[in-house]
Amino acid sequence: MKKLLRHMSPLAPDDSGACGVLYEMGGITVICDAGGCAGNVCGFDEPRWHEKKSALFSAGLRDMDAILGRDDMLIDKLAKICRQIDAPFTAIVGTPVPAIIATDYHALQKAAERKTGLPCITMETDGTKLYDFGESLAYERLFRRFAAEKLPVIPGSLGIIGATPLNTGFTNADPVIRSLGTQEYAKITCFGLDSGLDAVSRASEYAEIMVISPSGLKAAQYLHETFGTPFSVGYPCLPEAVLRKTESLSGKRVLIVHQQFAANTLRQTLKHCDTDCATWFLLDRSFAEPGDFRITDEEMLAEAAPHYDVIIADRVLHRIVPHYSGLWIDFPHDAVSGSAERGTL
Amino acid sequence: MNKACYFTASELAERGIGNLPDELCSAKHMIYSSPATLDYNSPGAKGFGVKRAGLVIPESVMLLVAPGCCGRNTALLNSLGYSERFFYLLLDDTDIVTGRYLNKIPKACAEIAEEMNPKPSAIVICVTCADALLGTDMDRVCRSCEEASGIPSVPAYMYALTREKRLPPMALVRKSVYSLLKPQKRKSNECALLGYFSALNDTCELYPLLRSAGIREIHEIGRCKTFAEYSEISRSNFSIVLNAEARYAAQDMQKALGIPFIELTRLYRIDKIRTQYRLLGQAIGADLDDAPYYADAKKKTEEFRLKYGSLRFAVGECLNADSFELALSLLEYGHRVTEIYGTIGERNFVFLKKIAEHSPETRIYSNLDPSMLCYVREPETDAVIGNDAMYYHPDLPGIGFQEEAQPFGYQGVCALFSQLDAALEANKRQEVQE
Repeated sequence: MKKLLRHMSPLAPDDSGACGVLYEMGGITVICDAGGCAGNVCGFDEPRWHEKKSALFSAGLRDMDAILGRDDMLIDKLAKICRQIDAPFTAIVGTPVPAIIATDYHALQKAAERKTGLPCITMETDGTKLYDFGESLAYERLFRRFAAEKLPVIPGSLGIIGATPLNTGFTNADPVIRSLGTQEYAKITCFGLDSGLDAVSRASEYAEIMVISPSGLKAAQYLHETFGTPFSVGYPCLPEAVLRKTESLSGKRVLIVHQQFAANTLRQTLKHCDTDCATWFLLDRSFAEPGDFRITDEEMLAEAAPHYDVIIADRVLHRIVPHYSGLWIDFPHDAVSGSAERGTL
Repeated sequence: MNKACYFTASELAERGIGNLPDELCSAKHMIYSSPATLDYNSPGAKGFGVKRAGLVIPESVMLLVAPGCCGRNTALLNSLGYSERFFYLLLDDTDIVTGRYLNKIPKACAEIAEEMNPKPSAIVICVTCADALLGTDMDRVCRSCEEASGIPSVPAYMYALTREKRLPPMALVRKSVYSLLKPQKRKSNECALLGYFSALNDTCELYPLLRSAGIREIHEIGRCKTFAEYSEISRSNFSIVLNAEARYAAQDMQKALGIPFIELTRLYRIDKIRTQYRLLGQAIGADLDDAPYYADAKKKTEEFRLKYGSLRFAVGECLNADSFELALSLLEYGHRVTEIYGTIGERNFVFLKKIAEHSPETRIYSNLDPSMLCYVREPETDAVIGNDAMYYHPDLPGIGFQEEAQPFGYQGVCALFSQLDAALEANKRQEVQE
């Protein structure tokens, strides 16, 4: 049965993706839930929770709040926090509860702005979609709202979109910046990783943008259309362990499973292999090759696996094909297994 | 934000339970997912939440029917050996709008039953906030699942939305896990301990005390390895409820199986423990001689006090105790309590009032209050108890006191002070080394 997961746990959901983008922006982020979704974000999908403080809260909804549509209570609670915490903006992240009661996010945004006097962005995530959908929404909303001013361009500067822990596994920007070589660029900023809203507001001063996950494409397109900033796609921070294990592969049928840009970049390093890339997440056909595909359920991966000599994917996925006879190379992806889960493996 | 918000014990005692400040009422503010909240909000992250609790039925499996976000962190349970026992039926927005997934649940159960060898003893159908709002009739769903799969199905309601209701999720799941018991001839020398999902500590005096009263078999769900062992629980002549959240399960068992129950409370004040055992003895018609256990525990508390003097403690709520009762016991043993991170309710307000008499300046914080993001230690503190307290004070000697083997009675008191002694000794050794 499609949508029945027998071997793996659910993948990182859209609300986790949105929260990951907003985490270091310095705003007050409210997950519009009863508590469980916030627990999933803070306790599982957000490894920075134990390293870096962030004003990320649960709305603490109760059944009658949802049934009676008490948005005013939510706004009152938000206003109360805004009196306690200095923040440049507020953000409201959706979950299944507001989706079911058809919350009017636009009205919520306006009401929040009126009551708090701060800009508010809302993300219509509903917990049924995947993390990159939420990331894409959050990046786009942030840049559209706050990157409005055209600033002089700093030569040799690079802004990176998509560097979230769910995409890279990193909780700070150093590994990404180091992988690009500091000689080549005068300034490198990973938006939302060791940088906050100020960097987003000054996005127009970057000479170029690199998008390292499909979730950053819409924001990059906005910057390109608005400020003329050119963007490229890639994934500069492939894990050393994966590169070491794959360098000797030759003449093999290889399947790489990851987010699209990471998989594509790894494919470029493989020589004399017939390689397909697959992803559980966004697959942008303009960056795909024939043979690349999107995985929609466990059965699909199980059916594809025997066609490949080597599978390079998060090891959690091996549970789907326990009898796979080829070579499996672990390519960790936090949106699949999560750093918290890998710590227990 | 300036600083973490707190109220002193005397302030709160004066206000009364009906007039608690908003900062201590979780429904009146946003919720900070501190480590303590994570423990509560993420069933499966640690300890027994709804998901793990549902699987306490031996040889059972769980089908989580929910949007992907609800089951995401269940992966944390894999390391505890649960990876083969969880299945997920993911819902999308169309499923929720049309309700079509209700027809898929029995089919999913049938697939699970067909695939598994040996067959599971039960399929626990876990539903979340989505079904709470949709008002899904889970009894009917479970009946359909049973018909389709041939395997008993029970619901587990992971309804974070209804946490403060009369029947919160953790009480409902306790009802569910005992609901598969069938009536059978009861045996006068058997009883059941209800309340925890894991068993009491093996050294707990409750076992020998019950045996001294002629009880030969003491059933605990946490000790059941097979479904056959689980089924024997209904042979019990009576149940002892050790956690109030199991009261509803016990009431169900009384109604369906004819098993009456008695309630005990986990306490850390030895005089109260003694009183409780006396009352238990009267209820079951036996004279329980707890004198040696009482003496041991008393000695332990006195030796600790003698060795370390009057220590200043911070007490959390991520532990095997009621924070306020434990804090009160520390005060009665001659120590001081600088801070408590806990949730005040009607049940433990009585302890708070007593704390206010002994130590009016004790600060009470709510782990859930957003201001805890800015928590900084102010009063001098010597040691901490509880995993949340350890998070706030990583530099102080402390104990999590949240083991799976449940402490109870005098054994709990002895374990508390033994562990504190070990932590303080280790800290002393570390200081010497530095």
